[in-house]
Parts: sequence; structure tokens; C-alpha cells
Amino acid sequence: MNGAHDLGGMHGFGPVDPEPDEPVFHHDWERRVFALNLASGFLGQWNIDMSRYAREQMPAAEYLATTYYEHWLFGLEHLLVKKGLVKPEEIEARVAELRRQRVGRPAAGS
Amino acid sequence: MRVLKGADVEQVIRKSGGARVHVELPAKFKAGDRVVARNLHPLGHTRLPRYARGRRGVIDRDHGVFIFPDTHAAGTGQKPQHVYAVRFDARELWGEAAEPRQFVYLDLWESYLDPA
Repeated sequence: MNGAHDLGGMHGFGPVDPEPDEPVFHHDWERRVFALNLASGFLGQWNIDMSRYAREQMPAAEYLATTYYEHWLFGLEHLLVKKGLVKPEEIEARVAELRRQRVGRPAAGS
Repeated sequence: MRVLKGADVEQVIRKSGGARVHVELPAKFKAGDRVVARNLHPLGHTRLPRYARGRRGVIDRDHGVFIFPDTHAAGTGQKPQHVYAVRFDARELWGEAAEPRQFVYLDLWESYLDPA
């Protein structure tokens, strides 16, 4: 699909600025999202190309404003819901629960 | 449904296969052949970049046979086929303002290509 992921030749993103000694993960949640993707992939309900296509389903404006592992999380949720393994309400309920737990704590760095 | 156990993670990751398919298939193109990338705009997944569609290039080498991502993503089969490194002149892709003697190599599935 002609989505926001197909960036080749687009202007306006600024210079490519490689980070020296870039870590594999910048935040612990990224490590967790990656592991969740591999573990869920092992369920055998989809293949790697379906995973890529799932990430392309993110709305274009959102895709350009979010990071690599946010795309991975979006794609995973998309496939889990599509395959009937998780209901959208279950994801929403868990997010709401985590938000409640965070009340009264300082905001996380990311 | 399969479930991945913690103790099996390393083994599973080490043996996970790539997209190469070990079958003999006739190749439509060979190194040196002139090709044009098809002007495709599928609603599904594709690995043919927009900037290459309709552009002319030359087959640099044949990588062998691989799963076709477009159909694999759609759940309509692996459709194994040759993947070629195709060399595009920068000016073919980006116009006369591009530097001369610069090239872009794209790995493209046979279904993306027509003879030119």
C-alpha cells in the first residue's frame, strides 16, 4: 500500500543522524514489545509479511509521529485483535488499569 | 495453538528460517538484462518502493528464490520466485539534478519486473 512507511525520496525529515554506540533498545518497554512480538508470532497465527503489513495499517499521521517500537506495538495489537486472540476492550481495560496505577507517581521519562 | 516457553526461546530464535526457498525455478531474467519496474499500487503489502515504479534498470545479479511478500502478507500463498538485485541510475530515479555515476540497487521480486 502507498503508506507513510514508504519514505524513500521524501523531503523534510532532516538529516540522518546515526547515534554512536546505539543500544538495541532505548527503553525497557521497547524490549518488552519486541519480546511480545516474537512470543505472539510463535502462536503461528500469522507470518512475518503479515506483521509488516499490520504495521502499515497505522494511520499515516500517527505513523510519522511515533517511533519504531510503537509501530511494532500497533501491529501486534492489530493482529491479536484481527485473529480474535484479544478483544479491543481488553487492551483498553489494561491500559486504563496501568494509568490508574501510575496516578500519584512522577511521570515516566518516556 | 503453539506457545513459546521461556526455556525454548534461544533455540527457536536460532533456528528460525529466512524467506529463501530451496526449489529450482526458471529465472525470467539474467545479469545484464534491461528491466522496468511495474507501475503497481496495490492496497496490500509490497516491497516495491514507490520511487522505483515505472523506472528502468539493469539486472545486476540473481539472488535466488524467495517467498513473495505481497501474497504471503495477504495469506494467498508463498508464490516463490527469483529475487534480483536491480541497478537503477540515480538520474532515472531522481532526475537530472541527481549526481552522475550514482546508482541505487534494489532487491526486487520477479513479479515486480517487466523486460524493457
